[in-house]
Amino acid sequence: MESNDVVGLIAVISLFIGLPWLIMHYRTKWKAMGTITHDDEAMFEELYRLARRLNERMDTVERLVAKDDPHFRPGVAHGDHALGGQEPADPLVHQPASPTRFTSLAAHRSQP
Amino acid sequence: MTPYAPHPAHTRFYRDKANGKIMGVCAGLADYTGVDVLWFRIGAIIAASVTGGGIILAYVLVGFFAAKKPPHLYASPDEQRYWQGVRQSPRRTTREIRASFREIDRRLAAVEAHYVSANPRLADEIEALR
Repeated sequence: MESNDVVGLIAVISLFIGLPWLIMHYRTKWKAMGTITHDDEAMFEELYRLARRLNERMDTVERLVAKDDPHFRPGVAHGDHALGGQEPADPLVHQPASPTRFTSLAAHRSQP
Repeated sequence: MTPYAPHPAHTRFYRDKANGKIMGVCAGLADYTGVDVLWFRIGAIIAASVTGGGIILAYVLVGFFAAKKPPHLYASPDEQRYWQGVRQSPRRTTREIRASFREIDRRLAAVEAHYVSANPRLADEIEALR
């Protein structure tokens, strides 16, 4: 009966101390590395929106430049964005760029 | 406890009642991970036949305690895919965003190069100013 008591004691200790400790140990470990915090989530959200917005602006700028000069070749093929952005449906109708748009740049460049 | 969130969190598990069959747990798992619902349903049925009542009890418990998915959690399918990617691997998503910014940088560089070097109209403008 002595050995039975010892076995019972070990069982009780392992069940009520060892097991919760094990669970808590791995829980804290998992929380530390696996999940992302609320701040991280807000940052991911912002980065997503920023990347999408910049992609769309870039599309617009490239379209304007292509309209200005048909020989312009964009840096990257359209519709091939890493975040899966799509082209806006309707192309913007803009007037060809007026000469005044370039005067500041031209003045800047002409200085040695 | 989860901290107070001004808008519904994108990184927690919801049960997707709208797309689900019983309580939407399998559909919620599919929405969370980005894996097709069918795999979770097949897995649940197999697990139910193997373990007996265990998985059914787990299903009911999860269905009881998990919050329902808010109706307008994602604005677009694109956004849904993005958040599935974030949940699967934040690190990979970070790399993807970096790649996206680099691409924008390349395109902007192309526009800049076009205006700085290969623009006959701009050269004419400069000539006219001299």
